[in-house]
Amino acid sequence: MSNFLNIMIPEELKEQVHNCIRCGLCMSTCPVYKQLFFEGASPRGKIQLIKKVLEGKLEPSANFARLLGTCLLCETCTVTCPSGVQLDRLMKAMRAELLSRFSLPWEKRTLFNLLSGSRLLPFCMFWGRTLENPLRFLLPSQGRVGTIPFSKLPRLNARPLISQYPEVVRPDGARVGRVLYFVGCATNYLSENVGRSVIAILSRLGVEVIIPRGQMCCGFPICLAGARKAALKNIRRNLQVFDPTTVDAVIVDCATCGAALKEEYPRVLEEMGEGKAAEAARRLGQKVLDISQYLSRFDLGKNLRPVESRVTYHDPCHLLRTQKVKEEPRSLLKGIPGLEFVEMEGADLCCGGGGTFQVEHPEVAAGITANKIQAILETRADLVATGCPGCRLQIHGNLKDDRIRVVHPVELLALALS
Amino acid sequence: MLKPEVLEALSAIVGRERCKTSKEDLLTYGYDACIYEYLPDVVIFPKSTRETADIMKTALAHQVFVTPRGAGSGLGAESLAKQGGIVICFSMMNRILEINRANRYAVVEPGVVIADLQKAVEGVGLFYPPDPGSAAVATMGGAVAMNAGGMRGVKYGVTRDYLLGLEMVLPSGEVMTTGTVTAKDVTGYDLTRLICGSEGTLALVTRITVRLLPRPKAKRTLQAVYDSIDRAGDTVSRIIEAGIIPATLELMDRMVIKALEESAHLGLPLDAEAILLIDVDGDPETVERQAALVAEFCKSQGAREVRVSSSEKENEQLWVARRSAFGAVARLRPSCLIEDATVPVSVLTATIKKVKEICARNQVQVAVLAHAGDGNLHPLMLFDQRNREELERVEKSMDEIVDYALSVGGTLSGEHGIGITKAKYLPKQLSPTSLRIMRAIKRTFDPQGILNPGSFLEKTQGNN
Repeated sequence: MSNFLNIMIPEELKEQVHNCIRCGLCMSTCPVYKQLFFEGASPRGKIQLIKKVLEGKLEPSANFARLLGTCLLCETCTVTCPSGVQLDRLMKAMRAELLSRFSLPWEKRTLFNLLSGSRLLPFCMFWGRTLENPLRFLLPSQGRVGTIPFSKLPRLNARPLISQYPEVVRPDGARVGRVLYFVGCATNYLSENVGRSVIAILSRLGVEVIIPRGQMCCGFPICLAGARKAALKNIRRNLQVFDPTTVDAVIVDCATCGAALKEEYPRVLEEMGEGKAAEAARRLGQKVLDISQYLSRFDLGKNLRPVESRVTYHDPCHLLRTQKVKEEPRSLLKGIPGLEFVEMEGADLCCGGGGTFQVEHPEVAAGITANKIQAILETRADLVATGCPGCRLQIHGNLKDDRIRVVHPVELLALALS
Repeated sequence: MLKPEVLEALSAIVGRERCKTSKEDLLTYGYDACIYEYLPDVVIFPKSTRETADIMKTALAHQVFVTPRGAGSGLGAESLAKQGGIVICFSMMNRILEINRANRYAVVEPGVVIADLQKAVEGVGLFYPPDPGSAAVATMGGAVAMNAGGMRGVKYGVTRDYLLGLEMVLPSGEVMTTGTVTAKDVTGYDLTRLICGSEGTLALVTRITVRLLPRPKAKRTLQAVYDSIDRAGDTVSRIIEAGIIPATLELMDRMVIKALEESAHLGLPLDAEAILLIDVDGDPETVERQAALVAEFCKSQGAREVRVSSSEKENEQLWVARRSAFGAVARLRPSCLIEDATVPVSVLTATIKKVKEICARNQVQVAVLAHAGDGNLHPLMLFDQRNREELERVEKSMDEIVDYALSVGGTLSGEHGIGITKAKYLPKQLSPTSLRIMRAIKRTFDPQGILNPGSFLEKTQGNN
């Protein structure tokens, strides 16, 4: 137990557990608590348990680890907490500590191995090109991954996006800007149309797009599960290949990657005692923009063709709460002629995906996602736009109505620009 | 520790998932929003009256203590297992069973969150007025047990005023219902009101019928800024004296304003000594007329600025901030104890002054918040409970505040209840006769004394 009293949690965070006066407001907004209705599942309960561990009054047991795992890390509690307790940071730091005691389940270990190493690329290419169809054929049609039926899992890109483009994509006309593009695993391996849309829009606007070779998974999924050391290699490599000095911005099209580059890199490095790297991460973070933020610098209006449809927008947690990006994606959508924008009830509520949460806690996720799907159906929209691949997967996977398409906002914009 | 056969019997009633005994689960049911902690031996979550009755019968058969709990937002350890045993938590028994428009009532299970009921009835043009600061998290069962008050008390009263009837499980395991769905009912003793505010010591409430009002058509929020807290306090008593009945009339002092501004960034004036937050509601014409009248009143009493909200959204933002006041002041110091002594509204200003004087003398940092229209003060005493000596000074201040409030005709508690924090003061307000009658009532309901032991009445046993 004593080694747990020297937990690697920054002092300022440790002190914050005493500021939780247990008012319980966090419970009123926590999607997980509102499914399970017991304290251990609530933010207040978790913080109080962390407090006990820090005070040496509770052995960090497997059950404690399990309770900390029933959290989407959607950050709603942190935004709600009037006492200013950064609950999500405390939980992330504690998860990292727990990992030194309890190892991850094998599925997660395998996934993180793939994400953190350089093996992902060849693996996915092999899978995508050769095995995609036979393997898919072999899967039982009734099976599910978490809440998502096999038939609704995304197909892999036949080739990773990065190998479809040169390192430097020159713009169509005169150059008005230059960006580095952090592609991210989802776009690179699963949703090439998002990447193609980003590049097409930027080229059309006169922006030179540099896609640094050797970029790796941002590492955020690995960090959130607590495997910070495993993520360090990715973070270092990405800091090395993304030199922000000669560009206007470093752009991302994934809410999670954006959150990693802007917020998580400097924090995690700082908390791990990597001061110098943290400094570099801060410099990089200042240049990072979500694609919707970068595009809001341009006047797109006159070039857009009408897209006759009805669209609603879902706020990804990592975009809304971590990055504070709310208006830009909506403005992009509202700017497309013919496209009718309808706000859904509770657009800012988590979709229930939460990275691997929906796989580990499918019964909890199912309830949260059902609310989201209901809100979408009530808008009678035929398009749902959202800037997070995890949310797209979760929403698409649980929409029974195939007429409703789930897209990244840039895909609609690219359509309107074509 | 409970005997294995008791645990066996309890989990046979609700299943293992809803019968929790791990150390982590017990720890998370060892607290409420007060500073004290008591661990239960088991936490059990019924989903029906039947299950609740079976749990109670099992507990009685084995002589195990039972303490009821809702969301655990209480401020006096009323829902903690002060002597161990079973915490019976109603958070999973949370259905709104009926909203009856023709007769304007609703029937709910105890675990329904107050704000959820408010939202549901407002959706059909009705209104459930009781509105505690913790409405977003607190449950209806808890509101009944504590007779919760809140912001709209000045015009609409408190939980007690909206109860038509209850269904409850008695400590014997029997099920009893009280009241009717009619607006009038004088059949027998009013047991509904007896249960309301009994702090979970008489029975386990399993079903609640509440009276509803038509939803007010319009509402305006006014924010009056003062350079002197005395002038703000005076405004309140003058408004009440003049016969104006606002829906809410809240006062916050400089320290609360600062904390709220830090947490919510609303553009509140940091140099102000006090702010009054006032709602008027009703028909649109009445609201317009009253808003203007109240604004005029505030100005004539020395408000330096009166802002009238222009939209529902602006109202909402102000109130969301106000609801987070308790948590927001916790930014300043780690611990916070809320007093809720209540005084006649005509001595509000003097009482606020006295509270500040008492806390200054005892070197206790205090922020003052008040449901001012009711004379219901909420001095928030800030400290660090790890510092024993500081805690003693806080307790000393509390003693003095209570004495003062009683000396001017006030009460120990306006809405938070007695719990364990104020039990020692009870004989100061209640006569030996009152206490004797109360104990007799308790014995009638709970002859074996197994429901919520260690609560307010027992704490004072030695004195009578």
